[in-house]
Amino acid sequence: MTELEAGRARTLAPVQSGAALHRYRDVLIALIAFAVLASLPLFTSSKALLDFVIRCSAYGLFATSLNLLVGYTGLTSFGHGMFFGLGAYSFGLIMQKLGVPIPVAFIATLAITALVAAVIGAICVRLKEIYFAFVTLAFQMLIHSTILSWASFTGGDQGLRGGIPRPAFLGINLANHIHLYVASCALLILGLLAMRQIAQSPFGYTLRMIRDNAARASFLGIDVWRAKLTVFVLAALFASMGGMVMALFVSGAYPEFAYWTISGEAIFINMLGGVSTFLGPMVGTVLLLLLNDTVTRFTEYHGIVLGIVILFFALGLRKGLLDFVAEWYAHRRETGEGR
Amino acid sequence: MMRTRMPGISRRSTLALMGAGAMTFAAPWVARAQAKTIKIGMPTILSGRVAQLGTSSRNAVMLEVEKVNAAGGLAGRQIEMVIRDSKGQPQEAARVARELVNTDGCELMIDAEASSGAFAVHEVARDLGVFCIHTNSETSALTADPKQHIPNAFRTARQGVHDSIVGGSYAAAIAKAKGLKKWATCSPDYAYGRDTTAEFTLYLKRFAPDVEIISESWPKLFQPDYTEVVTKILQAKPQALYSCLWGGDLTSYIDQANIYAMFGQMEVFAVNMADYTALTVVKNLPKGIHSGNRYIKTFPTTPENAAWGDAYKAKYNEYPTNWSWENATAIMLMAEAAKKANSADGKKIAEALKGLTIKCPFGADGTVTMRGDDHTLVGYAIGWGTTIPQEPYVPEVKAGDWKTIFELEAEWKKSKGYA
Repeated sequence: MTELEAGRARTLAPVQSGAALHRYRDVLIALIAFAVLASLPLFTSSKALLDFVIRCSAYGLFATSLNLLVGYTGLTSFGHGMFFGLGAYSFGLIMQKLGVPIPVAFIATLAITALVAAVIGAICVRLKEIYFAFVTLAFQMLIHSTILSWASFTGGDQGLRGGIPRPAFLGINLANHIHLYVASCALLILGLLAMRQIAQSPFGYTLRMIRDNAARASFLGIDVWRAKLTVFVLAALFASMGGMVMALFVSGAYPEFAYWTISGEAIFINMLGGVSTFLGPMVGTVLLLLLNDTVTRFTEYHGIVLGIVILFFALGLRKGLLDFVAEWYAHRRETGEGR
Repeated sequence: MMRTRMPGISRRSTLALMGAGAMTFAAPWVARAQAKTIKIGMPTILSGRVAQLGTSSRNAVMLEVEKVNAAGGLAGRQIEMVIRDSKGQPQEAARVARELVNTDGCELMIDAEASSGAFAVHEVARDLGVFCIHTNSETSALTADPKQHIPNAFRTARQGVHDSIVGGSYAAAIAKAKGLKKWATCSPDYAYGRDTTAEFTLYLKRFAPDVEIISESWPKLFQPDYTEVVTKILQAKPQALYSCLWGGDLTSYIDQANIYAMFGQMEVFAVNMADYTALTVVKNLPKGIHSGNRYIKTFPTTPENAAWGDAYKAKYNEYPTNWSWENATAIMLMAEAAKKANSADGKKIAEALKGLTIKCPFGADGTVTMRGDDHTLVGYAIGWGTTIPQEPYVPEVKAGDWKTIFELEAEWKKSKGYA
């Protein structure tokens, strides 16, 4: 069954109530997930586990937002990391230089990201495939070079020094490890939920149509350029959120956050977890960070181990883990229940 | 073609997977090793382009830890080093540092990171309050800037501004003697290269006011081809050249500039030349390159220093690096401070370390001091000399004068608003 056939099959009568049901279910799952994550500190005193979840939030938001482009719209961006870095730097600089409350800096960072993403996106999304990939990469390197050379403002290759001030707001003190943890979880869950809504909305299905056949979408009256630009900006916002979580975690921002290797890691995460399911990148994030953390504990030749793992996924499974699991499950259900 | 799957299936399996993963990996995290040994965590760079330096840091630390352990340990507790690769990424350095303290139970920390990684670990030390010695970051601001100052962090690395003062005065003396007025610079295009070059020329001009910089080149870090830079400098026809290229960049630069016989046409001042990682790699090391000392076993010219260099060579079959002596010094200082405090507790060691002077093979006068007010190492051997193509490579090093360094450093701090 192709994507379109699947779409058509569902576009029958029960779709309205079905969609609403799905939405409520998503919200419910999000609430449960948040409750589970937020209550974790009650059961364990392991700061390392909390650190791990905070990093998962940062990378998870970032990787899932890349999947909005790669998996849903077919836009393979090699420069998505620029928004991760932009988020971290904007947030850090606003907090250091202006000393505004954290929510203000948060919103201002999102506004800056949206503006930059709109300008870069307007240039990039006209291009297709490899050209799009390379122009996004070029913009990433432009931002990275700017951070490096504008040393008086950004601190150059030493990064933002002196820590990011984290004044308390509304009783939330992000300098406190538990508070930071819960806030990161909240941002992750809210971000995922919002991206899920985008993916499941009519707009999300428009994106899938553009991915499968942009010419047809265009003939049906869809402004392909505008839709692509919109999702480019939206994805940038979530990547920027990930960058802010990372900036809060390390209490700084470093040029490596805007380097192409960060984009590479997000693509790697998507390959690990799979791009055909919404939660694929999230699974990939957990996998990559677990792999990274455990492998670096035992050997400094982690590059070899990670390389073998990605070869296994690329050549062995030929898809991400969650893709594989989902297909296997569907296959079993089809044969097992004789549908 | 990518396809959208039934949402319910993936979600359930994902949650199950995530749950299982969390359980599996939470278990060992909860259990903390409790023993009489004291663990010292050390994030450093063990992979990538500067892995050689990270490895040499680890080697030096292990060499010294063995001695301390043989002598009874740190206030009676045997040291166990937990050394982990940060890949040279600041976010990894921060993560590894946190993990070392929170999971592995390290009570003390040696931060063998360079550049941005050191600042990332510094924030972790600020956050967790763990005792920390930065061993490799030469960026002056790390300890000079009062905003960076925390009671539990120290530095045992050389400092950029010290190098510039000594280099500037040494180069100015030669400039005056030989009448070198037209200078060119060629340094890597990043903060270290820019800052160090600016500070060097500042002090050069201060001591020799009629010096003029007629050409500046800023090759990229890790640039493979320097032809363009070399020809640009040759065309400008300077009488002297300053460079703070280092490691592989410096050696490729020299190999390529040799083709143009550049070193016969001008006096060359390369601050990072006198390090074995560069000296032993260059194909035809030109005679007479002026360089600052990094680590060289002939300077200071003491039997202790030569013995240390030989012991390292005997154990690891290669010569120590600049990072080696800086890391070894950290362990020596820690051991001495623990003895003085009669405790391995981080807070007490930090207190004892302030202003502590110890005997050390790398001291200008046989001792080094951890300066109390800004927690940075002073009194270490610092000087300049000229190269010869074979061992001992830099036969004579002219020592810098610490009195001048202190005076000019205080002035520099004022000009930066640090003091």
